[in-house]
Amino acid sequence: MLYPNYPRFAQIILTFLLLTLSCLAMAQRTVSGKVFSTENQPVPGATVTVKGTDKKTMTNNDGDFSISANDNDILVISSIGFDNREVKASEASRIELTAGVKDLGEVVVTALGIKKDKKKLGYAIQEVKGEDLTVARETNVVNQLAGKIAGVTVVGSPSGIGGSARVSIRGERSVDINKNQPLYVVDGVPISNAITGGSGRNNLEVDFGNGASFVNSDDVESMSVLKGPAAAALYGSRAANGVILIKTKSGRRQKGIGVEVNSNLTFESALKLPEYQKVYGQGNGSGGDFAFVNGGGGGLADGTDEGWGPAFKGQLYPQFNSPRTLNGQATEFTGGDLNTPGTVITPTPWVADMDNLKNFLRTGNTFTNNVALVGGNKDGDFRLSYTNLNQKGIVPNTDLLRNTISVSGGYNLTPKLSVRTFVSYIKSESDNRPSISYGTESIMYLFNCWLPASVKVSDMKRLWQNGLDGNRPYSLADQKQYSWNYNYHDNPYLTVMENTNGQYYDRIIGNVNLKYDFTNWLNLQLRTATDWSNERREYRRAFSTQRFPFGEYREVAIVNEERNSDFLFSFNKSAGPDFAITATLGGNQMRQKSRFNEQVAGQLNIPGIYSLNNSRIALVAQQNNIEKRINSLYGSAGVAYKNKLFLDFTGRNDWSSALTLPDELKDLGTEVNSYFYSSVAASAIVSDIIRIPSVISFWKLRASFAQVGNDTDPFSFQQTYNRSEPFGAAQIYGEISSLANLKLKPEISSAYEFGTDIRLLNNRIGVDVTYYQSRTKNQILNLPLDPTSGYSSRKINAGMIKNYGVEVMLTGSIIKQQNFAWDAFVNFSANRSEVLELSDGLSTYVMAGMNSVSVEARVGERMGNLYGIGFERVQSTDKNAPYYDASGKYTGQIVYAANGRPIPTTNRIPMGNYNPDWLMGVGSSLNYKGIRLSFLFDIRQGGVLNSLTQTVGREGGIIIETLEGRADGYDLSKPGNGVIGQGVVMDGNGNFTPNTTKLTAREWHTAWTNGRGIAESVMYDASFVKLRELQIGYTIPDKVFGKLPVRGATISLVGRNLFLWDKVPHIDPETMGYSGGTAVPGVENMSIPSSRSYGINLSFKL
Amino acid sequence: MNYMKLFKIIILPSLLLVIMAGCTKDFEEVNNNKNNPTSVTADLLLSGVIKNMMDRQVNEAWGIGNIVAQHHAKIQFVNEDRYGWNERNDIWNTVYDNYRNLQNVLILAKDDPSNPYYGVSLILKSWMFSLVTDAYGDVPYSEAGKAKTDGVYQPKYDKQEDIYTGILADLKKANEVLATSGTNLGGDILYGGGATGILKWRKLANSLRIRYLMRISKKKNVNADLEAILNDPANNPLFEGNGDNAELKYLAAAPNQWPLYGSRVGSFDEFRVSKTLTDRLSELNDTRINVFGRPTQKSVAAGTPEIKGIPNGLSDVDALAYNGGVQGVSRVGYTFACLVCNDGNDAPPAPDAPRALWMTYAELQFLLAEAREKGMITTGNAETYYLNGINANFAYWQSVVPAAYNLNVTMPTGYLTQAKVAYTGSTDDKLAKIALQKWISLYFNGLEAWFDWRRTNMPAIVPGPANLNNNKVPVRYIYPLAAQSLNPENRAEAVKRQGGTDDLNTKMWLLQ
Repeated sequence: MLYPNYPRFAQIILTFLLLTLSCLAMAQRTVSGKVFSTENQPVPGATVTVKGTDKKTMTNNDGDFSISANDNDILVISSIGFDNREVKASEASRIELTAGVKDLGEVVVTALGIKKDKKKLGYAIQEVKGEDLTVARETNVVNQLAGKIAGVTVVGSPSGIGGSARVSIRGERSVDINKNQPLYVVDGVPISNAITGGSGRNNLEVDFGNGASFVNSDDVESMSVLKGPAAAALYGSRAANGVILIKTKSGRRQKGIGVEVNSNLTFESALKLPEYQKVYGQGNGSGGDFAFVNGGGGGLADGTDEGWGPAFKGQLYPQFNSPRTLNGQATEFTGGDLNTPGTVITPTPWVADMDNLKNFLRTGNTFTNNVALVGGNKDGDFRLSYTNLNQKGIVPNTDLLRNTISVSGGYNLTPKLSVRTFVSYIKSESDNRPSISYGTESIMYLFNCWLPASVKVSDMKRLWQNGLDGNRPYSLADQKQYSWNYNYHDNPYLTVMENTNGQYYDRIIGNVNLKYDFTNWLNLQLRTATDWSNERREYRRAFSTQRFPFGEYREVAIVNEERNSDFLFSFNKSAGPDFAITATLGGNQMRQKSRFNEQVAGQLNIPGIYSLNNSRIALVAQQNNIEKRINSLYGSAGVAYKNKLFLDFTGRNDWSSALTLPDELKDLGTEVNSYFYSSVAASAIVSDIIRIPSVISFWKLRASFAQVGNDTDPFSFQQTYNRSEPFGAAQIYGEISSLANLKLKPEISSAYEFGTDIRLLNNRIGVDVTYYQSRTKNQILNLPLDPTSGYSSRKINAGMIKNYGVEVMLTGSIIKQQNFAWDAFVNFSANRSEVLELSDGLSTYVMAGMNSVSVEARVGERMGNLYGIGFERVQSTDKNAPYYDASGKYTGQIVYAANGRPIPTTNRIPMGNYNPDWLMGVGSSLNYKGIRLSFLFDIRQGGVLNSLTQTVGREGGIIIETLEGRADGYDLSKPGNGVIGQGVVMDGNGNFTPNTTKLTAREWHTAWTNGRGIAESVMYDASFVKLRELQIGYTIPDKVFGKLPVRGATISLVGRNLFLWDKVPHIDPETMGYSGGTAVPGVENMSIPSSRSYGINLSFKL
Repeated sequence: MNYMKLFKIIILPSLLLVIMAGCTKDFEEVNNNKNNPTSVTADLLLSGVIKNMMDRQVNEAWGIGNIVAQHHAKIQFVNEDRYGWNERNDIWNTVYDNYRNLQNVLILAKDDPSNPYYGVSLILKSWMFSLVTDAYGDVPYSEAGKAKTDGVYQPKYDKQEDIYTGILADLKKANEVLATSGTNLGGDILYGGGATGILKWRKLANSLRIRYLMRISKKKNVNADLEAILNDPANNPLFEGNGDNAELKYLAAAPNQWPLYGSRVGSFDEFRVSKTLTDRLSELNDTRINVFGRPTQKSVAAGTPEIKGIPNGLSDVDALAYNGGVQGVSRVGYTFACLVCNDGNDAPPAPDAPRALWMTYAELQFLLAEAREKGMITTGNAETYYLNGINANFAYWQSVVPAAYNLNVTMPTGYLTQAKVAYTGSTDDKLAKIALQKWISLYFNGLEAWFDWRRTNMPAIVPGPANLNNNKVPVRYIYPLAAQSLNPENRAEAVKRQGGTDDLNTKMWLLQ
């Protein structure tokens, strides 16, 4: 796009070169310099005064300034948050300022990579520094924002190793559950955060991670979270839900080569394990004995997969792991070896496998090593970094090996022209990521629902039956798994060792940035960036797997590419002594392409050969190529008055290909593919304007109003016909079930926010409060339709969603002495979202559904409400409604049928809201002579969770709750056996009496959910408190190393997610369901236990 | 001067702006989905509708039809068998989802009587809506499937009576237009297209008319309509033998095998032969039981092979413990079994032997026998119809079961003359015999045995001891719960119209 204009462009640059040269020639002596913080950050907006004169200037966004002065003049540099500094004019080329008061004068990276003095911003932004990400770390760096940033909710993946994280900033604006993710931006350029779902073709869900989960925390200098649309207005459509800006590390000026090393070793173990009952073994509740014959019903209860069997009394039963004898002689075979004719199983004691899951899971470990070479001189800097991450998950045979090489460098080619580049190559390999959700391929499906305590799990480390390991000429009978149950389930070790989901992923993120300073107040940046990834997934399924008797091999190739090219003029000039004007003007072209290519060998010929060549049946292929482009022009203008009042405007126009009608449809629809939106933000440093009590050392007010436009997915207009597998010679096509809309318009979300930032007691205490509200209208969403309309969904412009909330950040330097410092902070946020309108007379938008609940947005109600079937309860308000009790005596009690089972409601009723009432992060650090202790608590209050573990774990007699009603076996005549539901029954005359019907324990625990129908019985308060982070570090004084060039050596003991306090049985409430690439919050669906990690971090510099 | 220069700076972005707008020129092409076509021919759609609907017949029979009709019973996860039904949306979703594609065929056929897709689509449409109204009662019909064409997103629910009026009119129309239509019919995986195929479709249309006229015969006098069909066989051809059966023959190769072929063995084996079926068939010395069930593993081991069913509707514990456990209860016939559901040293079963059933010649004959016996028609002889039905069903199973299975499906000598089969006794006796034989012939035929029982109450269905529906056999499915959110007013109206409840016992028009 830019290419054809290079000649003209060069001409203009030339013009400016000439212009500036002439300016230089006229000046007597101009001193130029650059102001840095001690963290090597340029300090913009610093005042530079020639001492003893009234000559004054300000540094620009990059900390540069120039002022006319004599070499012997003294320059005074002052900036809020830094100690004043005086330097000789001749030494001004690089000036370092020392931070005076913490957090003030903070320079933050804002939209388009523009650095701004935080105090000037009219909107909220919060930052996490790189060192906070690398010491106590997680494989997915995004998880580490939890608790550290007010208003940010992070829910980690239910799959363990480096899975995707669901991040929402300031709650959810969109009723489309997939559209609430923020935009990730590296060095000013967006990267892809795509999730490509891992299910389909009879395979369960696998979480292969989303784009952001591959970012290497060692290369991150800071992550800034732009929370509202005002902050994000310049990033366009995708920034409507906020932006996470990642600034990569750069080199620094120093003598010789600098070496930075960071090593981190952590161990992971399950944070919380489900509690299983360990009193009764495999069986069906008949009270009879157990005997394994063939694991398929050939013996006594050996075909069942439930824990309603005999109590453990050490009695002798033949079991799958009991030895087999042949003619009285011992053999090496056991019960589970079915191909051993003539052998007899010797009964062994009936005992519980006390720690089945705990022993199955292992201690995972993550070993991360980073070494970076840095260097720089006055003209440039350079950083080369290599990171090796080697993770072994807590689930056996799950792993992740990720190597990242990053190069960043900048060089001032001429005093005017500089270039910067960052390139990162990520190679991520995982031989197995665990299958999740409900089904045979998921180990948690087995452990939580269908694994009786009598099964000794570790005895299944042998994967194959006697001699049937597949190493023979092929026949179906040649590879047979060894297991405790051949009716329903796979040996869990087979699941993890053989039935793997491999991922091989290469990604390059890179950008080149050319910057030309026409003058010290005008520059031009040209940037181009590519984010390209190539991913291959390999699903292997062994012969004799329950779902794949002939095995399976499925290969998926995904290529994603996003290119952004932009230009940006920046103008920054003082206009008279009181005003400073900044302005930018830029344009961007984004090109996104993705290719999805899948081939499946649904059955294999030869066991163990996982290749498409080995397919026993016709390969099934699927391909999908997607492309999208957005062109944008944008600009901003800002005025600062006396460095006290700040006003900023932005405007942006986007042209989106996704809103462009293809030629064949041009005449049928209306096309609006160009949309403009703008923002305005203001802030005032009140403390500099009016006289205020001295206890207040700094007071700022800020306000902003912003709009962000948004487009839709590519190919939204065409109603296509997709192919299914043919029936013999007959080809099959079918129209897609989502209905296109040829009149789609861009959506616009408008938001305002007010905030204040107050520092008290000489800046020792900081209070930052923000209130925000946004309304999104014309929201483009896939509205689920009643399938009787012929279509399952329709793209519409609909709805008005209101989203509002408050964020509070408290910071305090409680003690600040030479050798001892105690800092603390609290982040608090509360958010509410409401549906104000939907279109077409519709009153309900079904966002998602899973298990027995649906997530719905109904007009006038809060977003994220869950609906499901509840218990019928006695009421005393409506005479004509069912279960009316005039006496009021039984109001609220559960009504039981005469058979003792709770009666389900006919209609779905509210089950609470999955969104938390509020979130809080509480952190503190203590520093004493190089020793640092810090911790972070993450608190979530409110929100509900539907637990499938609870539903099915009860049915299977597996979880500890199922001991209720079988205090002494299954004989109902014995005390403590059977359950009488708490509540009432209604007789034919409408009179209520307490329920007295006793059910067997097995019946009761299924009746409780009416066979997975009632949702109310398994809803839990998802509130929790987590000790998210704990660190103890010691920085070894440099002098200890004597003449060794070691500096800044720090050793830390680190822990993450160490403790959890919550109210949900069995599972960590911080989880979500996962289906087809869509995260479904508020639902627990067989997640792998979350992990606690602890370890050591070592870093030093040379 | 500086300002002039500045002005120049503004020119560049302005130019870029112009170029940017120009750059959107190829956006039409960028946003053009080249992965899939935006239109296809009718044959490619027809094949899919037939395949999906026939698969649903099998799966619905397996999941509920065979259970509630007591051909099968459950030994594990017994909720269905105890009438502990929550929402069951598969018929609903399959019908309306495929109706989208059928609508597209109808649009392509443009109501042109000479277009064979028109008549065939009317037959499929009639059947699909009969399934959904029989399963739920009042359902969207006249406004269904019209989101694209008419912008109807929340279709009203039609009265069942009106739906049946439409179904019967469409079937009549289908028979008429196919009589003179072209024969170039592709994608006909049921009958293979061509003149032969079209004739069979007409036979199916008329046979279905008999089925649905009988279905509503308690609510309306249909005698004249029945007689009109039978009086004019030249213009109203009916099934003449098993060769006309509407059935889908599966293929040997995946993925077009018998839909249950990929089941887990445990999941398949939860379903066993019902004691109701074994009792009734053994009383008749009926060899068809050899197709429907396998001798219990226990009896085989003991050298005395015996097919033994289990009572329906037992509790979890009782079901698993019945007759000494699962080895003492017959598994569902080898013919219908999954790849790994073979016994001991048997070879895996053939994946293409069992077929999906829509309507058979036997069913037609039993319908005619009943109509004749009740005097609703005057054509033909009730006993002949009856015997035709029995003979055809025996012949059918003989043709389906591979010889290698060595199953004896030969009709025993004296079968037709034994007291319980011979067409003797009072009219009630005869109707009961017809109903019994029809019930046997409807094995694995979707939900038809259940629907037919609802009408005739024969042969009796006795709810199991642990049933959760107050000793009542369910007569319908509840509406999909999602309809409470997606089409609340129309659903509520339909519920109100049918008596104010939406449960398994709500009486739809047919049952009122």
